[in-house]
Amino acid sequence: MRFFDPHIHMTSRTTDDYEAMARAGIRAVIEPAFWLGQPRTSAGSFVDYFSSLVGWERFRAAQFGIAHYCAIGLNAKEANNEPLAREVLELLPRFAFKEGVVAIGEIGFDEITAAEEQAYCAQLEVARENDMVVMVHSPHRDKKTGIRRSLAIAEEMRIPMSKLIIDHNNEETIDDVLASGAWAAFSIYPHTKMGTERMVEIVLRYGGERLLVDSSADWGVSDPLAVPRTAQRMLERGVAPAVVELTTWKNALDAYGQSGQIDFEALARSPVIDQRSLWNDNSVLRGQEPRVDQPVPN
Amino acid sequence: MTPTKTRFDEMLERRLRPEALEWLRRSDREIDAGASAMRLASLLSQASRHAPRGLLEPTAEEKQQAADGLPGWNPERWTTLEALRVRLLVAHPDPAGDAFPEALEECFRYADQGELQALYRALAHLPGGERFAWRAGEGCRTNLKTVFEATACDTPYPAHFFDEVAWRQLVIKAVFIEAPLWRVYGLDRRLSPEMARMALDLADERRSAGRPIPHELWLCLGVHAGDRGLAALEHELGVPDPRARRAAVLALARAGATDRLRDLAEKETDPDALRSLADARAGRCDQTAFAALAAEGS
Repeated sequence: MRFFDPHIHMTSRTTDDYEAMARAGIRAVIEPAFWLGQPRTSAGSFVDYFSSLVGWERFRAAQFGIAHYCAIGLNAKEANNEPLAREVLELLPRFAFKEGVVAIGEIGFDEITAAEEQAYCAQLEVARENDMVVMVHSPHRDKKTGIRRSLAIAEEMRIPMSKLIIDHNNEETIDDVLASGAWAAFSIYPHTKMGTERMVEIVLRYGGERLLVDSSADWGVSDPLAVPRTAQRMLERGVAPAVVELTTWKNALDAYGQSGQIDFEALARSPVIDQRSLWNDNSVLRGQEPRVDQPVPN
Repeated sequence: MTPTKTRFDEMLERRLRPEALEWLRRSDREIDAGASAMRLASLLSQASRHAPRGLLEPTAEEKQQAADGLPGWNPERWTTLEALRVRLLVAHPDPAGDAFPEALEECFRYADQGELQALYRALAHLPGGERFAWRAGEGCRTNLKTVFEATACDTPYPAHFFDEVAWRQLVIKAVFIEAPLWRVYGLDRRLSPEMARMALDLADERRSAGRPIPHELWLCLGVHAGDRGLAALEHELGVPDPRARRAAVLALARAGATDRLRDLAEKETDPDALRSLADARAGRCDQTAFAALAAEGS
C-alpha cells in the first residue's frame, strides 16, 4: 500500500527514518512549520527554518523517493513572544507562496492566550486573501475549548470549512469538527494524543470521510511509521481497505491538493530514487554506493 | 529592449500559454517601473504558478543562438520556469546600478530550491558580473547538487569571474560530487599545475579507499599531468572498467603523450577503446570529448 503522512517534522528525523518510511510505503509527507522544542530568539532563525522547509528538507526527502510538501506559519507557542511574532508574520508572505507550500500551518492555540488569537487571526487573513488551505494545531491542555474557539474564529472570518484541517483530535473533539464541515486529523503519538487501537475504534465508528491519520513525529518520542502501522492495524481489525485508503492516503490528497501544489500524476507514478543528485561531501550518503533508479519496495 | 530580454522573450513566447505571457508582460512593466526588492522576490516566487512544468528543451537553433549571444551558455538543462525567472530579473530598470546587487541578494536570501537554481543561472546574464563573485561562491558551497550544477555548469560565469582558489574548488568539487565536469565552461583554458596536483591527490585518496576514480577527474590534468600524472594514467589503463581505460586514453592525449598512444593503438583489440584511441590521436580530446563517457555512466 501507499501512504501519505500529512503531518510530520522531518527536520528532526534521521535518514534511517526516511529509509524505513520509504520501505513502509510512505510516498508523500507534509511538514508544517512549528517550534523547535525551544523558543527561537530572532526572526533570522525563522528565515533559515522556513528556507530549509522549502529547500534542503525537500531535497533530502527526494533522496528516498518521498515527496515533501510543507505548511508555513507561526506556531501558537512562539506567537506569545509578541515582538518576535510581529516580525515573523511580516515574513510569512515571503514563504507562503513558494512551490510545494500546501497550507498555512500549523497555527492555532496552545495556552489559548490573546497573543495566540491575534497571530491566528492574522494568518487566517493571509489564507483567506490567497485562497489557501489551513492546518490548525489543537492544544494539549483544554483541547476541546481550543478547538471550538479555532472553529468559531475561522467561521467568523469566512474561511471555507473545506479548506480547514483541525489536527490532533481525539474521541472528545471529533464530533465538533465533523459537524463544522472541516477535516479532522488524528496524530498517532505514543503515550499522548491518540493511540493506534483508539484510532481503529474511531474509524470503525465514523467511517473514513474527512478523517486523516498522521504521525506528527518530531524531536520527541514519536513514530514516523505511525501511519502505515495504523493502516495495518485497521486492516487486521476488519476496516474496509477503501476506508483505510481514505484515511491514510486519499483524504490528505483531497484536502491539501486544493492548494494546487501537489502533482497528482507524479505522485501516482512509481517513485524512483536517484541519490546521485546528492552524493556530496555533506550529503546524506557517506561513501556508500548511491541507490539509483531503484523503485521503493512497496 | 536589450538583446538578453529579446532572447528570453523569444524562447518564452513559444512555450507559455497566453495568460502566462500576459502575466509576464504585466510583471515586466511593474519591475521596469521600479518594483521594490520584496516585490521582485515575490514575483520570482509567483512565476512557478505561471510556467509549465518541465525542461525548456531548446531546439538546436535556440541553443546556437544562446551560444552566439553569450558564449558558454547552454540552456539544454534549463527549465521553462528558470527562463521565466531570469527574464523577470533582467527586467530590472538598472541592473548595472548600485541598488541592484542588494535587490538580488534579497531574492537569494528568501529563495527556495527552484529559485536558487534560477538565480545562479541568471548571474552570467547580468552586467557587472564581478559584483556577484562571492554569491556564486556560495552556490558552489551548497549541499544541493542541482544548485551547484546551476552555478557551475553550462555557464561562462565561473570561468570569467572566479579567482584561482574558487575556480579550483569548483572543479575539484565537481569531480568529488560527480557533477558533469565537462560542462564547466572554460575548464580547458584554466587548467593549472596546482589543479592537477589536487586532482592527483584525490585520485590517490580514492585508490587508498579502494574506490573507483571518477572518469572526469583525468580532465583536470591536461598538459600539467607531469610524471606523477602519467604514472597515475598508466595505472588507470590497467583497471578492468573499459570506460576508465578510455578516459585514461583521452587524458594521455590531453597530456601530449602521443608515442604512448601509438603503442596502445598497436596492441588494442577492443572496438570501443580503439575508437577512443582514434579520437584521441586525431586531437578530439577537449573537455566535451568526455561527454560520451559521462552519458554512459548515468
